[in-house]
Amino acid sequence: MTENRVVAEGVHKAFGDNEVLKGVSFTVPQGSATTIIGPSGSGKTTLLRALNALDVPDAGAIRVGEVELDFSKPVPKDQLRRYRAQSGFVFQSHNLFPHKTVLQNITEGPIFVQKRSKDEAEAEATELLQQVGLAEKRDQYPYQLSGGQQQRVGIARALALKPKVVLFDEPTSALDPELVGEVLSVIRDLAVEGWTLVIVTHEIQFAKQVSDQVLFTDHGVILEQGPPAEVIGNPKEERTRQFLDRILNPL
Amino acid sequence: MAVLLLAAFLLTACGSSATNGDNPVKSAGVLRVGTEGVYSPFSYHDPATGQLVGYDVDVARAVADKLGVKVEFVETPWDSIFAALEANRFDVVANEVTINAERKQKYDLSEPYSVGEGVIVTRANDNSIKTLDDLKGKVAAENATSNWADVARKAGARVETVEGFTQAIKLLNQGRVDVVVNDSIAVYAYLAETGDTSVKIAGSVGEKSEQGFAARKNSGLLPDLNKALDELRADGTLADISQKYLKANASGAPAAGNQAQPKSTWDLILESLGPLAKAAITKTIPLTVISFVIGLVIALAVALARLSSNVVLTNVARFYISIIRGTPLLVQLFIVFYALPELGVKIDPFPAAVIAFSLNVGGYAAEIIRSAIQSIPKGQWEAAETIGLNYVGALRRIILPQATRVAVPPLSNTLISLVKDTSLASTILVTELLRQAQIIAAPTFEFFALYGTAAVYYWVICLVLSFGQNGVERRLERYVAR
Repeated sequence: MTENRVVAEGVHKAFGDNEVLKGVSFTVPQGSATTIIGPSGSGKTTLLRALNALDVPDAGAIRVGEVELDFSKPVPKDQLRRYRAQSGFVFQSHNLFPHKTVLQNITEGPIFVQKRSKDEAEAEATELLQQVGLAEKRDQYPYQLSGGQQQRVGIARALALKPKVVLFDEPTSALDPELVGEVLSVIRDLAVEGWTLVIVTHEIQFAKQVSDQVLFTDHGVILEQGPPAEVIGNPKEERTRQFLDRILNPL
Repeated sequence: MAVLLLAAFLLTACGSSATNGDNPVKSAGVLRVGTEGVYSPFSYHDPATGQLVGYDVDVARAVADKLGVKVEFVETPWDSIFAALEANRFDVVANEVTINAERKQKYDLSEPYSVGEGVIVTRANDNSIKTLDDLKGKVAAENATSNWADVARKAGARVETVEGFTQAIKLLNQGRVDVVVNDSIAVYAYLAETGDTSVKIAGSVGEKSEQGFAARKNSGLLPDLNKALDELRADGTLADISQKYLKANASGAPAAGNQAQPKSTWDLILESLGPLAKAAITKTIPLTVISFVIGLVIALAVALARLSSNVVLTNVARFYISIIRGTPLLVQLFIVFYALPELGVKIDPFPAAVIAFSLNVGGYAAEIIRSAIQSIPKGQWEAAETIGLNYVGALRRIILPQATRVAVPPLSNTLISLVKDTSLASTILVTELLRQAQIIAAPTFEFFALYGTAAVYYWVICLVLSFGQNGVERRLERYVAR
């Protein structure tokens, strides 16, 4: 049996009075791609951010890679940092560092956090850039790239830390439609290569093709989960059906 | 030598028994004398040698000699000279301090070493003023805290306050004021030195003025000072010094021929270029640079405190910013320099100026840095977190480099203002650019030329800084879409 890279149990998170996650549990097996779909406000982005402690849960326990945290108690900062180091994060709006070149964006973490040698980090970064098809852009600044290219650099930056899991927060939502394909194909390649991925997305077709499991969130809980053929192809829950219907037939 | 020491010892002993207290000057071995340095011919810099000279200066030297101690002069603007005396910056004031009842109450005043008469000076062609009664409704130029200002005010004149006698005469010359009331000695000396015929002595205020040293109340210095003055008067030294500087007073008219040809304004400016450059390079620029750098460090700390989630830190930072921005810089300078000594913290002029300016820059730049940090999108902090940087790392490597770009234009403003604000340090005895210009201008009455030259220096410094700003901005803009 394959090992699980993420095990979440009873995760709760509230912002003030607004309870966004109401006890969420799921697992992500090693080498699998998990997509999280659901209406906006259903808690899918908060759930993803909890896996990187960008939003720290109020209760529940999560293991990512080798670090397990119990959020019902206060978590020391160094623990949080170790936990965070288990995953890489790709933002909806890429959040590249504008004052650093493409190469420096990717090597920042390896050199200054992981204290690896500059030569080694740059060699690996160059390889990653080749992988996302941007080898010739290594010395340019983010503003010189298109949105799709910027997002691919964002992916390379996340991969450079050699995380156990790569997290994607709606990676194509901020892109022009004609640029969506290049980013999705990079993510698909990662899935094929055996990276463990968790992807929040509205791209239902993509979720269907790429993922091994689909989580459908609604009102702070996972309403339905399983292989895409079931959750997307033949949903059991009425709310899942309504959601998919709205997305696939907007008119 | 042994005899001298013995004599000094006996003198000290005498003084002690007479005043029932120690003479601190004797025990320190140095008499510290506060004087204006821009009040010709009593206290000014010899244009030829640059040395501090003048009637009061030489009398103070002679007195120190009599006391068997060294002398040390501290140059201070008249209007803060008593504050500096109280703050123990020096032991006595030697600056034609007029003896009056009010001052006697507050200070130890020595016997007079110069005696003059108050006179009314007007423009040569003005016959409307002959006596004090004619001052009613006129405008007089006087030092704010001098007794002549009181005399003019009581006579019904409106008083424009000026920095010194020479400036007062300049205003009179220019027709900006109608009258200057001052000591006959100073007026005669002015007429003798300049050969100025555009002003005249129109009358007397019928009041003798006696000038002596001022020391802090109960200083224990008076017996020794008076004894020394008596001896100097008896042996003719006072008369000699008076001859040297105030001969115009004795004769009542300028002594023709023994006056050096007045320098042309142009020569004066050329000669001032070196000293002014020196003041700019050794005082104004270091003061600016050091204060700005320290100020930026303070500002960064305050900005971070202001942004922190700790309520105490935030409020302390707010309070600091509000105090600094809500009070005049001049007052801040005075507090550091004149008020802290009362609490036992005595700081030399230059470091005191650095402290005051640094704190000031800290307050203003803190808000600039805070808003620059806040202008960086939250996503940058989050991205820095996700690649594993901690708070300090994120700040240093990701946030501050970007915030710098935002902060450089307003910070450049602060820096350029600071260059000119350093001129305020002249009020706390730092001989920076403006003060140097004052010193050079004082005996020559060429204020406009010297201040103008100083202004050009300030402008050049600011011009260089503006070029620097452009360079920095261009460098920081390299990663921004144009």
